[in-house]
Amino acid sequence: MNVRLLRDATAVPPSGWQLLPMRFHRFDSDSVLLTNLVGEHLFVSPDQFLAVIDGTCNDQELLARLRARHLIQRPGDRLPAELLAVKLRTRLRHLPDSTGLHIFVVTLRCEHTCRYCQVSRQSSARSEFDMSQETARRALALAFQSPSPHLKFEFQGGEPLLNFSLLKWIVREAKRINRDHGKDLAFVIATNLALLDDEILRFCEEEDVHISTSLDGPADLHNRNRRRPGQNSWQKTVAGIRQVQDRLGPGRVSALMTTTEASLDRARDIIDTYVELGLRNVFLRPISPYGFALRLRGGAGYDVERWLRFYETGLDYIIDLNRGGLPTVESYAAIIARKMFSNQDPGYVDLTSPAGIGLGALVYNYDGDIYASDEGRMLAEMQDHTFRLGNVQTSSYEEILLNEKLLQPLAESFTLSAPMCHSCAFEPYCGADPVFHHATAGDFVGHKATSAFCRRNMGIFKALLRRARDDDFARDLFWRWGQR
Amino acid sequence: MTQDPETAEISFDRSTTELDALQQAAYAVADLMTVDIRASATDYTCTLFPRRAGLDEDMLKHRIRAEVIDQTLRLRIAKETGPIRNLIFALAFSGTGLADSGTTDE
Repeated sequence: MNVRLLRDATAVPPSGWQLLPMRFHRFDSDSVLLTNLVGEHLFVSPDQFLAVIDGTCNDQELLARLRARHLIQRPGDRLPAELLAVKLRTRLRHLPDSTGLHIFVVTLRCEHTCRYCQVSRQSSARSEFDMSQETARRALALAFQSPSPHLKFEFQGGEPLLNFSLLKWIVREAKRINRDHGKDLAFVIATNLALLDDEILRFCEEEDVHISTSLDGPADLHNRNRRRPGQNSWQKTVAGIRQVQDRLGPGRVSALMTTTEASLDRARDIIDTYVELGLRNVFLRPISPYGFALRLRGGAGYDVERWLRFYETGLDYIIDLNRGGLPTVESYAAIIARKMFSNQDPGYVDLTSPAGIGLGALVYNYDGDIYASDEGRMLAEMQDHTFRLGNVQTSSYEEILLNEKLLQPLAESFTLSAPMCHSCAFEPYCGADPVFHHATAGDFVGHKATSAFCRRNMGIFKALLRRARDDDFARDLFWRWGQR
Repeated sequence: MTQDPETAEISFDRSTTELDALQQAAYAVADLMTVDIRASATDYTCTLFPRRAGLDEDMLKHRIRAEVIDQTLRLRIAKETGPIRNLIFALAFSGTGLADSGTTDE
């Protein structure tokens, strides 16, 4: 009786509802994906979709689900708009706190000659490619002008451990400056670990510095991609990972892989390598179309469709590992899951809108030049300085952040207004990548019907949503990833 | 106008189809074809130019027709939900200080 009364009270008469802002995508032959302004979603049949749009739907259960997802409301309702506004504001709350990530390219030198490296082929003996202490001092002064209460300093190269003395100085100087600021600081060294020694480990332990390394999979695959004298990159990296885990703890080292053509049939091998090393986060990444990587014979050697098959094979394997009781995360899926299954936007630089360039990250190159993103720096290595925002010697913080070279790509690529993005059902999960589209299409927006960025990300969104719809375990797993 | 043998032609009734929907559909199918739109008193006539050789003419017509229907639906939803969308954005950004960023101190 009570249930009946409740049903009667909430029943929606035909045409007795208003549409809320929604976008749709014909997902497969018998289902249409509906998303609201903040990415809450529902699958309906094509007939149900038309009945809702036409105002002829009389399926109370469906109408209740549409109301619950804030896709429709009853006339006079005020709460849905207010709740959507709160959720939208929550998703964008990271914006006023820009810029959080400050990347210091402390040297271009490297003792590896990786096949896909975008930036560095400098001999490890040529110190003119090292950042000076004066350049680092000025870069730190700029970084501390950021309004963000959290500053992450990431050291990149080349191989940053080749300029370890400056790296040490920057960490200690940042902490000294921070006595007057009280910000939450984090430090990460992006290193191949080949040069790791006891002094570096002790420093990381004492100063709470994290390690991010590159691990492309099993030894043969990794050493084929990441070449160094002795062909022992994998052995050095694995030994380094174990040393960091033993000395600093398992959570202090993470790894990233890059997909080459040789990786495409080996998703399981790659993931197994991570699992065997106790690395529970696997980031299945395609090769970047920037810098020296473009010189790779035949480009990346594979197209988006082949990469998506690789990605889905890896994703399914990771889901099965979890099903078998081994917690493992695919990092890119976890970023997207946070957008799909929570009201948070992780602000991931490569998948957020407004774009993450400048707002999410600034890059201080060894010579003092400042770039809007690491990919912008990679383009500069090929003499394309589109994303160079200034130099630490001459530019003020305001000149960098209000530079037209930053504002124009941000405005043009904004997904709520960009052609096709603004009406795309996946927009709440996606982002703007003006650097990618500049590099591949010649403008900051690109053409979404032909964009590889668009095809790749839509493929991933659909892979996640399909599994979440059809597999209860996968849905719960993605939901947990989204709450991390 | 001489019809290229590789092209296809399809017409839409002006009384039931918005030009915006046609243009957005033409943009969305640009990976398969480019579209030339010409208006007469009663119709929009679209000439479809396939991007690659061997694309089936019927497939191209089905594709643009389906896309025009979807873009028409999108325009309809956008028109119906435009005011509340603006309200939601206004509510979301009110009190953030962002709306005052253009003002200057006297």
